[in-house]
Amino acid sequence: MLKLKMKSGRTLVAALVLLAPAISLAQVDTSEWACESCPFDQGYRAEIDVGATNVSDDAARFGNYTGYDEKGTYADVNGQGRYANEGYRVDWYVEDLGLDSRVVEIETGKQGVFGFNVGYRDLPYRRFDTTSTVFNPTSGDTLTLPGSWVPASTTGGMTQLSSSLQQRMIGTDRQIVDIGGNWQPDDAFRLFADFRRQTRDGVDITSAGSYTQAAFLPRWIDYETDQIDAGVQYRSDSMSVTLAYYGSFFTNQNPSLTWETPFLTAPGGTSLRTAREPDNDFSQVSLSGKYHLAAGNTVIAILAASGRGEQNADFLPYTINPDVVTSALPRSSLDAKVDTFNYAFTVTSRPLDKLRVKFAYRYDERDNKAPISDWERVIVDAINSRETEQNVPYSYDRLHTIVSGEYTLSRKWRLAAGYERKEMNRDYQEVAEQITDLGWGQVRWQPAAWLDIRAKGGASQRGIDRYNDTIAVSLGQNPLMRKYNLAYRYREFGEVVAAVSPLELPVSFSVSALFADDDYKESLVGLNGAEEFRATVDISWAVSESASVYLVFGQDRIDAHQTGSEQFGFWDWSAFHEDDFDHTGVGMTWRPRDSRFDMSFDYNRGTGKTRIALDSLSGGPSTLPTLESTLDSAHVEASYEFSDRLHGTFHLRYERFDLKDWALVSETTLPTVLTLGAQPYDYDVYAMGIGIRYRFGDGTISLVE
Amino acid sequence: MFMKMSARKTAVLAMALVAIALPAVTCAQTADDEAELPDYSRKGADTCFQCHDDQVVLAIFRTKHAMPQDPDSPFGHGQLQCEACHGPAGDHAGRVRRGNERPPIPAFGSMSKTSVAGQNAYCTACHAPDTGFAWHGSSHDDDTISCADCHTMHVERDPVLAISTQADVCFDCHQQQRTQAMKPYAHPVRQGKMACTSCHSPHGDTPERLLAGNSVNGTCYDCHAELRGPYLWEHAPATEDCSNCHNPHGSTQPGMLTMRAPMLCQSCHSQVGHPSLPQDARGLADNMPSELLLGQSCLNCHDQVHGSNHPSGSKLMR
Repeated sequence: MLKLKMKSGRTLVAALVLLAPAISLAQVDTSEWACESCPFDQGYRAEIDVGATNVSDDAARFGNYTGYDEKGTYADVNGQGRYANEGYRVDWYVEDLGLDSRVVEIETGKQGVFGFNVGYRDLPYRRFDTTSTVFNPTSGDTLTLPGSWVPASTTGGMTQLSSSLQQRMIGTDRQIVDIGGNWQPDDAFRLFADFRRQTRDGVDITSAGSYTQAAFLPRWIDYETDQIDAGVQYRSDSMSVTLAYYGSFFTNQNPSLTWETPFLTAPGGTSLRTAREPDNDFSQVSLSGKYHLAAGNTVIAILAASGRGEQNADFLPYTINPDVVTSALPRSSLDAKVDTFNYAFTVTSRPLDKLRVKFAYRYDERDNKAPISDWERVIVDAINSRETEQNVPYSYDRLHTIVSGEYTLSRKWRLAAGYERKEMNRDYQEVAEQITDLGWGQVRWQPAAWLDIRAKGGASQRGIDRYNDTIAVSLGQNPLMRKYNLAYRYREFGEVVAAVSPLELPVSFSVSALFADDDYKESLVGLNGAEEFRATVDISWAVSESASVYLVFGQDRIDAHQTGSEQFGFWDWSAFHEDDFDHTGVGMTWRPRDSRFDMSFDYNRGTGKTRIALDSLSGGPSTLPTLESTLDSAHVEASYEFSDRLHGTFHLRYERFDLKDWALVSETTLPTVLTLGAQPYDYDVYAMGIGIRYRFGDGTISLVE
Repeated sequence: MFMKMSARKTAVLAMALVAIALPAVTCAQTADDEAELPDYSRKGADTCFQCHDDQVVLAIFRTKHAMPQDPDSPFGHGQLQCEACHGPAGDHAGRVRRGNERPPIPAFGSMSKTSVAGQNAYCTACHAPDTGFAWHGSSHDDDTISCADCHTMHVERDPVLAISTQADVCFDCHQQQRTQAMKPYAHPVRQGKMACTSCHSPHGDTPERLLAGNSVNGTCYDCHAELRGPYLWEHAPATEDCSNCHNPHGSTQPGMLTMRAPMLCQSCHSQVGHPSLPQDARGLADNMPSELLLGQSCLNCHDQVHGSNHPSGSKLMR
C-alpha cells in the first residue's frame, strides 16, 4: 500500500491531495478490492406517477409555461425508469405528459463507448385570454374583416365593432425534438452530433399603421428552426481539442401578413401588407483547445470560430396599394451575408501556491456584407415619400482584454484584483470607437469554516472617440441626444456577500447586497443616470432530522433619470423612474424517517412597483399611476406510503396574480388605434391533484450478501 | 428618490470598508500543520460498506460513477472505488484508540479538511478533459466553488443536471437572480421549464458572463432564431446586444424590457415631432388617450423593432 508522509503546510497537503488520484492508481494494490458487496445496477426498474389535477378557473397566465391555462381536469403522468445490463443502459424520463408542457427523454448507450439520446419537449406560452379581434384569418398570412364591416376614421365610429369582436387567445406552443449521440472509439477521441428541431406555432400580437391609424393584429406564427451541433474532440491527460460545427436554419411559413384595414384610409389602401421575419441560415466552424502545463499549473485555452449568416428571402413590393406609384425594387432579395469571427486566448496560471493569475484576450467581429442599395419608401401603404434611402449594414468588432490575479494572504484572507478593457468599433453609427476601462478589487475573509465574507468593488469608464453629430443630425436626431449604449458612462459598483454556517448549529444564514451607479454625465438629452440596488437574505434551519424550513427575501431596485426636449433643443422635460421589486419566500419539508407520510410546502410572494414621474415644459409636473404587480404562489406536495411500491400523492397549487397597468386599454379607448382589448391580469386559481406512484423493480438498494 | 438610493449605497460601501479593514486587525498567518496522507483501505468499497450501508451512500450504484464495465468509472476494474473520490481511507477505516475521534475521510465528508481545490482535484483528475481544463480559472473556480457545491453524487438524478430542478441549485448562491426570476416577466425558470445552462456555461468556457454561446445575441438566437436576420433595415442596438433593451433574468416590464416604453425608446430617439414629446398623465385613458403612451406605445406603429425586411420598412413600421 501506498504510504506517503511529509511535513508541510496545508497548501502542500492540498497539493498532494490534488495529486493523489493521479499517482495513487498506479501504486495502490487493488487486487483484493473485489467489491463483492457492491449492488451494481442491473435489470429494470421504474417509478410512475399517474393522477389527475383539477384547475379551478381559466387563466392564461397561470397556464403560461405550465399548461394549466383552462378550467377543468388534466391528466398527470410523470415517471422515470431504467434498464441496465452489463454496462448497457436505457434511461427514460417523462414529465407532465398530460399537459402542453410535456417532456419525454430517452437516453441509452454503453458508458465510455457510445451514447444516444432522443427528447421531446413542449413549452406553452400563454399571453392573454382576454383579447378580442374583428379580424378573421383566411390563411396563415391573411386577415379579413367581416363582410358587414363599415370603416370609420376612429374606433368610436366603428358601428360594427362590438358585434364583430371575437375572442382570440394569444399564445404559442414551442415543440423541441432533440436527437443526439456520441461515440468514443478510444480513450483519445470522442465524436458527437446533435440535431434539434424547434417549431413554434400559435397566435401572437403585432401592430401596424394605416395612414394615421394603427391596428393590433392577431398574427399566426409558424416557425421552424433546425439546429445541428457536431464535432470531434481529442482528449489526453494534458489537453483537449475540439473541432465543431454549428448550424441553424430558420424558416418562416408566414413571412408576410396582409390585412384589411378597419379604418377609413388613403385611396387604394384598404388592404395592407407587412413583412415578418425572413428565413435565415447560420453556419459556424470552431476550433477550441485547452492545454495544461504542469509548470505553474497553467492552462492555456484558445478558441477560433468563423461563421456566416445568410438571408435571401424574396422581398415584398414597396406596397400593395395599386394607387401608389413606385419604381422597381433595386433588388429582388437582399442576398445578405454576415460573417462572424471569434478569437479567444486565455492563460490561467498558479505560478506560486498562493498566487493565481489570469490573462484573457477575446476578439469578436460581425461583418455585415449586405449590399447597399437606394430604396424608396411608401409610408404605411399610403404615400410614396419620394425620398431615397440607403439600407445600413451595421458591422462592429469588439476586443476584450482581462488581466486579473488573486493572492492568498493566509488561510483566512484572500485578495483579488482585475483590470479589463473593452474596445468597440462600429460602422455607420454616431460613435465609431468606444473604450471601456474597468478596475475592480475584492477581499475575501474566511476566519473560520462557518463564516465567509466577500466584498468587491470597482469602477469603469466608457469613453468614446467622439459623438458624431453629423450622423445624428442626418438621422433627424436632436444633436444633444446621447444614445445610452453609445454615450460616455462612468460606473461605480460594489457588492458584499456574507455566509454564516455554524457547524454546531442547524442554521445557515447568508446576505448579499449590490449597488451599481451609472452616470452619463455628458448626456444632455437621453439617459442621464441609473442606479441599481439589490439585496438578499437567506435563512435555512434544519429543525430536526426530518424537518427543515427556509426563508428567503430579495429586493431589486432600479432608478433611472432621463431628459428630453420637446422643442428640439436643450432639455425641457425629464422623467424619473423607480422600479422596485420585492420577493419573499418561505417553505418547509417534512420527511420523517419512520413515517409513511411526507410533505413539503412553499410560498412565494413577489410585488413589483414602477413609478414614473415627469416634469415638462408643456405639462408641468406629472406622475403616471403606479404600475403594480402582486404574485402570491403556494405549493403543497404530500405523499403517503401504502406499501413499499405504492404511494398516494397529493398536490395543491394556488396562485393569485394582480396586475395594474395603465397601458392595457380596451378596443375603443384610443381613437386611432384598434387594440385587442387585453385586460390586466387578475386571477385566483387553485390546481389540486391526487394520484398514485407505483414503483416497478427494486426500490431499496441492498448490499450483496 | 436618489437620496434613498444614496443611503443604501453608503451602507453597502460601509460594509465593504469594514470587510476590507478587518485584515489589519485580525490578519495572522496560520502556522503550518504537520500532515500526512493516510493509507488506502485494505479492501476498498467492501471495507467502506461495513459501516456505510445506508440508502444515501448506496445510491451511488444508481449513478454513472458506479459502472464496473466502464474502465474509467471509479468502480471500473482496478479503480479506487469509494476512495477514488473520498481519498485514501486507511486511517478512517482503521482501529481508533479509545477516547480518540475517528479521523475524517480526506475528501467530501462532513468533517473533511481538504481544501476546495483539493476536493475539486479528485473530480478533475477524471473530468479535466471534459470540463476541468475550462474550469481552471473560470469565474466559479475563482470563487472557490467546489464541484460538490453544485453536483450531488449519491442520487440517481443529480438535481443540477435536470432542467426542472437546476435553478434551485444555482439560486443557492445566485440569490439576486432568484429574485429577478420571480419578476412578472421572465423566462420560464421559475416554472422549471428552462435551466440556467440554457444560456450559461457554468464550467466557464467563455469570458463573457459564462455564456453558452459566443456572444449575448448568439446565445439568444439559439431559441429566438427568427430574430437573427440580417434584415434589410436593422435596428442597430438590437443587432449589437439584446441586453441593450431586455433583461433576460426578468423584469417588471412586459417583454422583459429594461424600462417602460415609450421612455425606453426616448432614451435614444429624439427626432423632432412625436419622438421628442414627453408622454405624461395627459395621455392616460381617462384624460386624452394617447397612442404614443398606451397600448404598445411606440410599437403601436413601429412594431418591427428587431429589424424589417420590407422595402418600405426603414422606419420599422412594415
